[in-house]
Amino acid sequence: MKPAPFAYYDPSTLEEAVSLLEAQGGEAKLIAGGQSLVPLLNMRLARPTAVIDLNRIDGLSYIREEGGRLAIGAMTRQREIERSELVQRRQPLLHAATKLIAHPQIRNRGTIGGSLAHADPAAEYPALALALDAELRVLGPNGQRAIAAADFFVTYLTTALEPSEVVTEVRLPALPERTGWSVLELSRRHGDFALAGVGTTLTLAAAGSIEDARVVLFGVAATPLRATAAEAMLRGERPTEALFAEAGRAAAAAVEDALSDIHASAEYRRHLVSVLTKRALTEASSRAGAS
Amino acid sequence: MESEMSTRKVRLTVNGQPYEATVEPRTTLVDMLRIDLGLTGTHVGCEHGVCGACTVLMDGLAVRSCIMLAVQAGGAELRTVEGLGHNGDLHPLQEAFMDCHGLQCGFCTPGFLMSVCELLEHSPDPSDDEIRDALGGNICRCTGYQSILESVRLASKKLREQPS
Amino acid sequence: MTDREEAHRLELPRSIAELPTTAARFVGKQVPRVEDRMLLTGRTEFIDNVTLPGMLHCAILRSPYPHARITKIDTSAAEALPGVAAVLTAEDCVRWTRVLPTMPPGWGTYSLAQDKVRFVGEPVAAVAATTRYIAEDAIELIEVDYEPLPPVVDPAKAIEPDSPLIFEENGTNIMYQRFFHWGDVDRAFAEASHVVSETFRWHRVGANPLETFGVVSQWDPVDASLTCWGSFQAPSYTARGRAVALQIPSHKVRFIGQPHGGSFGGKGGGRGTDVSVLLSRKTGGRPVKWIEDRMELLIGGSSQAWDRHYEASLALKADGTATAFRVKLIDDLGATAEGFGASGAAKPLACFTGCYAIEAAEYDLTIVATNKVPASPYRGMGPPPHNFVLEHLMDKAAHELDIDPAEIRRRNFIPPDQFPYTIPSGNEYDSGNYAASLDKLLEMSDYQRLRAEQEEARRQGRYLGIGVVSTIEPGVFDWGAYAIVGARGTGVPEGATVGLDVMGKVIVRVGFPMEGQGQYTLIAQLMSDYFGVTPEDVQVVQPDTLSAPPHFGPGGSRLGVAITGAVLGAAVTLRDKLIKVAAHLLQVEPGAMELMDGKLRVKDDHERALTVQQAAATMLMRADLLPRDVEPSPEATYVWTAPDRTSGDEQGRSKGYLTATNACHLVLVEVDIETGQVEILKYYIVDDCGTRLNPATLEGMLQGAVAQGVGAALLEEYVYDDAGQPLTTTFMDYLLPTVHEVPMTEKASLVTPSPFTPLGAKGAGEGAINTTPAAIMCAINDALRPLGVTAREVPATPQRIWRLLQDARRPA
Repeated sequence: MKPAPFAYYDPSTLEEAVSLLEAQGGEAKLIAGGQSLVPLLNMRLARPTAVIDLNRIDGLSYIREEGGRLAIGAMTRQREIERSELVQRRQPLLHAATKLIAHPQIRNRGTIGGSLAHADPAAEYPALALALDAELRVLGPNGQRAIAAADFFVTYLTTALEPSEVVTEVRLPALPERTGWSVLELSRRHGDFALAGVGTTLTLAAAGSIEDARVVLFGVAATPLRATAAEAMLRGERPTEALFAEAGRAAAAAVEDALSDIHASAEYRRHLVSVLTKRALTEASSRAGAS
Repeated sequence: MESEMSTRKVRLTVNGQPYEATVEPRTTLVDMLRIDLGLTGTHVGCEHGVCGACTVLMDGLAVRSCIMLAVQAGGAELRTVEGLGHNGDLHPLQEAFMDCHGLQCGFCTPGFLMSVCELLEHSPDPSDDEIRDALGGNICRCTGYQSILESVRLASKKLREQPS
Repeated sequence: MTDREEAHRLELPRSIAELPTTAARFVGKQVPRVEDRMLLTGRTEFIDNVTLPGMLHCAILRSPYPHARITKIDTSAAEALPGVAAVLTAEDCVRWTRVLPTMPPGWGTYSLAQDKVRFVGEPVAAVAATTRYIAEDAIELIEVDYEPLPPVVDPAKAIEPDSPLIFEENGTNIMYQRFFHWGDVDRAFAEASHVVSETFRWHRVGANPLETFGVVSQWDPVDASLTCWGSFQAPSYTARGRAVALQIPSHKVRFIGQPHGGSFGGKGGGRGTDVSVLLSRKTGGRPVKWIEDRMELLIGGSSQAWDRHYEASLALKADGTATAFRVKLIDDLGATAEGFGASGAAKPLACFTGCYAIEAAEYDLTIVATNKVPASPYRGMGPPPHNFVLEHLMDKAAHELDIDPAEIRRRNFIPPDQFPYTIPSGNEYDSGNYAASLDKLLEMSDYQRLRAEQEEARRQGRYLGIGVVSTIEPGVFDWGAYAIVGARGTGVPEGATVGLDVMGKVIVRVGFPMEGQGQYTLIAQLMSDYFGVTPEDVQVVQPDTLSAPPHFGPGGSRLGVAITGAVLGAAVTLRDKLIKVAAHLLQVEPGAMELMDGKLRVKDDHERALTVQQAAATMLMRADLLPRDVEPSPEATYVWTAPDRTSGDEQGRSKGYLTATNACHLVLVEVDIETGQVEILKYYIVDDCGTRLNPATLEGMLQGAVAQGVGAALLEEYVYDDAGQPLTTTFMDYLLPTVHEVPMTEKASLVTPSPFTPLGAKGAGEGAINTTPAAIMCAINDALRPLGVTAREVPATPQRIWRLLQDARRPA
């Protein structure tokens, strides 16, 4: 399982990376952590004319808080995010989701930008970006632009990135007050891709009813999905077991075109959505109560 | 900035020694280690980053060398199983595996040793759950893992008791 | 046996106590393994370390179709690629080789597909180039035109008269069909007060050692001889097979088995070896290396087994004692019989009725060809699915008769005073005490408390299940065990040469390579206690197949017995020589002397003694001091084979396996009925493998086999779609258990020594994989019985369990 031949570039600035992408006319691939790309190269499922390495570019790895939001550089390793005290404190959902990614050795190399750009339907970071209405900053030949997470994930392994664009940063909100969270997934083995996963935040009003609810599903469709029907059902209601079960059913029913493979049929995935949503909301609710 | 399909010189340090190899960009790190540098202690099990047999330490962190390109390791400090132990003496980690029967065919063992190395260097007294989390990405087909867990517990104890 | 035969029969020690040592210092104890230092430092020479001058690397082009005619092959572009030294096609195979031998015979092809392909992954062409990278570039340049044929994927359809044929010349897809009838089964069923029946589906699963297969072949055009280095499990057998297939005189074939990273049955060699040999030949004798990569192993390697459809029934009396067992098996062997996977359908005869005194049995066996990878041996070799079937029916009977599952087994066990015991299918169990094992298991697991826990959990709406199973692990195979599918001959010789040098160091020559079971350590233990030395004084050497004694190696759970027999037999023979020398020097009769603690001493005057080293040095350096009838060679060779083997009568009955180890497992699981996930909470094992020669090795064998059993029961499956395309092509889809999925087990042992083996040891490598799937499935069914669910399909994936629960909830 050896890769087909390719040219290799390791630019030292983002601008160079963008020009190289342009010069290769859409036939090149960026390498960040490489944990998704190199297996594809080894299996000859990816056959780029060139591989453009982002690892020599300084200034792309950082975790900062700016005005109530976290700004994370695209080349920040998942390991750094996992160990960041700032993340654990200000956006514990991101911390928890990071711990679910594969295994430590993968997280030592994998990056947040790479994970978002690769857009695997079962990956945790795309789902989280969608749940938290993250903003992705990208650089292309026409300059910088921001893409909302809701617009970023187009279909299976496909994002709104133009062929010569590079993700440079992701911004997401810190967890608001009185907000509980949960991220649950079901996989065949510990660390495997989720057959179905649910991420949720529940913000409670002072009186105890649900002020805001975010429910994102991953692993079940070509992209992560916001379970908007379930979210609407939850807003304004008091948190109860029955409500969460109903929300779970609503989330499941709204999944059109569920994925189906040897590990899980579409029907089973939808069922898992309903179970995991209910369980995640229950967990988030108790965290909200505790905070 | 260099480019092209043609080969590239990679300079790095492995187990404290400087090495240099000229490789194609598509050469994986594990192939460079084994074929170009003659360091065959690191093994190839799957070539798609799942089994962990190829685990080495790069700048102190465990990475899967079958899914890294050799050209990405330029300037890095690698540690492989050949760097544990010294002149025929075993590292306490290797001794612990021997004492606890933590290996049978030994093919996965170098990968486990390097993953455990990272674990104990960052977390000298890990809980069983922490050990499992650190080793969940290393597959063994022979031992059923029980003796590997015992080996890691003993290694942790040995290293903590060592005079520094 | 006549007096004359008795006099010449070599007396091997029958227990550890009979070793010539006051107290065994090494045998039966945990010792540091002699293999470990090299393995731990990464210095062991696995096959991929072997590099020779001028060596080329091989890549294989494989069929993308499950069934198709090859209408054209054009290798010219590949041949022209810089770095390519040779390209091989079936034309070369036809010219230089024979069709591969198969079991059953008549279901083989050449190493490269000729005229048609029969499974996705079948080798079609091969390239030798200066690097593996270039070789893989080259195979992409080979143009092959295929004319797809309808694939045969369902064995039930494969045996229909209008099915497309895998081998047209055979006129059928049925590779083998026989109905075995042992005892009066019909009457037992007619008279039974209770009958339980079930159908089962067991999906393909396989060895997947962490190291794939590899070989380096070098043809010598001047000498017309062949040398191969490789991860061969049984080098002499592979060498012999290759000599026949490649039409090379056997004395011109030399194989070297490298230490290898596990095998579990899947490293026989086969096509990859042949292809690399032919490439070497085609390049005028350059060495050619082929390392199977993981995708090749998953898609086309020797790692798929037990693709089975079962129908089975048990006839019982009112008290739960079973009187007859009926099994109908359709075994989907894949496209050819080259993998020797048919042996897996024959081996169940060696333990057909398990631990139970069931007097009549039937085996309706059909082995079918389909367009899938040819099945190969995998640890256990067939009993794992068979035992699942039997244990499931026992539990079903227990439930229907309202008898505790542990108790129903107890009522059926072969009593301890009935050994050696011959089961209806002909094999003989050497010794055992199954009730005692069960007692120990129930005590260590606090069975009653577990049942109480289960009850309490049910009240809380949680579904715990307990599986209590007891199985037989046949050990030390002989060819008669597979006679029904075409294996010929009797006796599986295992030889060793034991020698002493002038310093008194012990050198042992054996034929087989290291595989992981601590073979060389066991030899060091035995020789240390035999000659009064320590393992540091013992060196095990493995010469090539032309210099080695006859051997098969550790496969078939032979290690503890056959290799022990070989080295002890050589040691005993050597001892006799040393005693003759010492007696001559001390001027006493040899009968007045004994070996003890490394000294050759006069029995009633221990002060008069020579050390073993002194005797050996005398033999080598003082020929003048030797008795006339002793040659100056402190060395002896002994070849062991199991005694009294039979090759199989007209009903397939044979004494096929010498020993019968008992594995008794108890597992507690919890099933999440919302998701179908199964969690293993507790796992207990009582294992009786006779005399325990190395406790750490034995526990390691058990735990490793439990892991494989967990994989088989819950995770591992080779999936094919309806068009014959494999869907499990990477480790993302074929799921090996990690540390998170394997339970830590609590182990205890019972010892009923074998009366038939040196030191009383029995085979021990396969017991857990034979038992764990049965235990887990029984536990799942125990958990879900109140919901009216029966899990009969393995692996019991979450989706399958969930589907069963859904179906059970639907109104009838």
